[in-house]
Amino acid sequence: MKRRQFFKTAGGATFLASAGLMNQTSTFPAFLMDLYALGEEANLSKVEARYYKKHPDREIECTLCPRFCKLGDKERGYCGVRENIGGTYYTLVYGKACSIALDPIEKKPLFHYLPKSSALSIATAGCNVNCKFCQNWEISQVRPEQIQNYDFPPGAVVKTAKKYRCAVIAYTYTEPVVFYEYMYDTSLEARKKGVRTAVITGGHINPEPMEDLTKVVDAIKIDLKAFSQDFYTKYVRGELQPVLDAIKIVHKSSAWLELVYLVIPNLNDSSDEIRKMCQWIVKEIGPDVPVHFSKFVPMYLVKNLPPTPVSTLEKVHKIALEEGIRYVYIGNVPGHSAESTYCPNCKKIVIERRGYSIGKIALKGGKCKYCDNPIPGIWI
Amino acid sequence: MTGPIDITWKEEYFLIVMASKVVLIRGKGVLTGGGDIDQKKLLSMYNRGIQILMDNQNPKDSLRLIFKNSDRLGIKINTIAGRKLSSRPEVSYSLASLLQDGGIQPKNIIIWDRTNRELREAGYRLNLNRGGIKVIGTDTKGFGYDSQLTSYLNIGSLFSSIQSNKITASISLAILKDHGMAGVTAGMKNYFGAVHNPNKYHDFNCNPFVAELFETKFIKQKHKLSILDSLIVQYHRGPSYHARWAEKYEALIFSLDPVAADYVGWQVIEKLRAKKGLASLKEEKRAPVYLKTAEKMGLGKASPEEIKIIEEDV
Repeated sequence: MKRRQFFKTAGGATFLASAGLMNQTSTFPAFLMDLYALGEEANLSKVEARYYKKHPDREIECTLCPRFCKLGDKERGYCGVRENIGGTYYTLVYGKACSIALDPIEKKPLFHYLPKSSALSIATAGCNVNCKFCQNWEISQVRPEQIQNYDFPPGAVVKTAKKYRCAVIAYTYTEPVVFYEYMYDTSLEARKKGVRTAVITGGHINPEPMEDLTKVVDAIKIDLKAFSQDFYTKYVRGELQPVLDAIKIVHKSSAWLELVYLVIPNLNDSSDEIRKMCQWIVKEIGPDVPVHFSKFVPMYLVKNLPPTPVSTLEKVHKIALEEGIRYVYIGNVPGHSAESTYCPNCKKIVIERRGYSIGKIALKGGKCKYCDNPIPGIWI
Repeated sequence: MTGPIDITWKEEYFLIVMASKVVLIRGKGVLTGGGDIDQKKLLSMYNRGIQILMDNQNPKDSLRLIFKNSDRLGIKINTIAGRKLSSRPEVSYSLASLLQDGGIQPKNIIIWDRTNRELREAGYRLNLNRGGIKVIGTDTKGFGYDSQLTSYLNIGSLFSSIQSNKITASISLAILKDHGMAGVTAGMKNYFGAVHNPNKYHDFNCNPFVAELFETKFIKQKHKLSILDSLIVQYHRGPSYHARWAEKYEALIFSLDPVAADYVGWQVIEKLRAKKGLASLKEEKRAPVYLKTAEKMGLGKASPEEIKIIEEDV
């Protein structure tokens, strides 16, 4: 059995066990939510959080994300993974991964960033929003003590990535903002060892921590979930403007940026909304940032809507191209022609994709092999 | 009378006669100088509260009007704030003892909260004894959270299997506290501890989440009685314990109407705040607006003219 097949079939717990990193008392399967209690001892960290203010009477105010949770002693933030303990704010998930897997970088999706590379993907419990269509709610919308966690400190993450020849460590599946300190320290360690990093986030974060993060990670993919505050209020429980601000911060930084928009029938798929969003993208961050329009599948609390029709995805794809975005993709529709990267100059395929598989790559020194047109991205 | 007619009579009796009665029993001296509880006084408070609430001189008979002997009864307590601001074991055990006297078998009584750690820190000794009263957290092996999501209005949660499966009737034995976001945390909000994701329900002053969570089938169909443990009331800077703003109030508040009970609890907090020269919760923009939402949803009364408050000292 080849290594990749092994990881895909056996899952992360076995992977960790094979790497000699899994807690001896942990049981398989690791990635499924333990719907029954884990017993007396939850595997939580107690590492002081980076972004918060102390107030009188043991109260604190979290400044990591736009929620600005104000918490008394023993209270947890909206994310469920940070707790005020006696007036000091702690992250409970530092080095406590609940999901660990090897993925192709295309799965994130990051299409202009080290194509064909493997990403050691990690997540902890928790999220600072509550999307009603969350695909990973079993780990994102729970507290860390409600699922199985594994000790996987930054050094071990990087060591494992090196051991299994992963070019990238990806912070993904849940919301990396809520495990910021773990992500930050892992990224510092990774950079020292020559491993690159990628953040897969909803971008619901305050400017200062986002600016700090862009200095230590190499790529950031942001899920822009809609282009209306009304949608963010009703279906995300968050704010749109901070996400737009975060996108601009990443664009100005040295980190590579791509955007994903999950197209949900009747909720965020109007031509008007899509067009306005595309106009904003072109105006604020330019036409070269790749934009992925992904197919929605009914999940979590939104089960009453059908999957996104391919025709709708093709409609929004067309609008984006009309508005001048140069690299527009359709996601979650394996085999669709809009999965591949086309040179905007000669219109030929420069990276051929089918699902997560890569066909030919017609790039030379970051330029189209056929017409020498530069294709933006981080290429091997 | 046959069974079904009897049941109909009871329902009407609750709805028309007593639905919005709230009984506030004060027991001066129930907290002794040394911080212990005068058990005898506490039991008198319980007995008197139930008697007045049910208009029945015999507490045992009163409880039979609320619960069936066959009920498996959950007493949901709140131990999040630690030993100094949680329902003390004496308070929970006294209630359990009264319920036993009323005909509920000890093996069918569960005193519970979210986690074993919080229960222990509040002074409880965990007990899974098959024949006796159980004291357990949801994270006890064999319990845990449901595997199926309960989705209702704005609620999407996994329920504690204790609330969803192990019990047939429920008492919210809640600590009365000020709450930085909700304004007041009392009997209804106590059920935030019955779901896996309470942190997701604190936006917008917890409105409409407190009311909507209460209306889910696992709570609305099982909740029978609210008792607000107001021996110590945290009237400011809650829900954490702060001695400076914690009043030795020495009262228990009883109601069959969960909204009315919390409304009266809110008024207690406001009176204490006014007495100490603090701004009202409304002035601080954190009045418990979820009570009005609950009233609109038909869960109970949050209008003073529709609540009959009976106060008594024992």
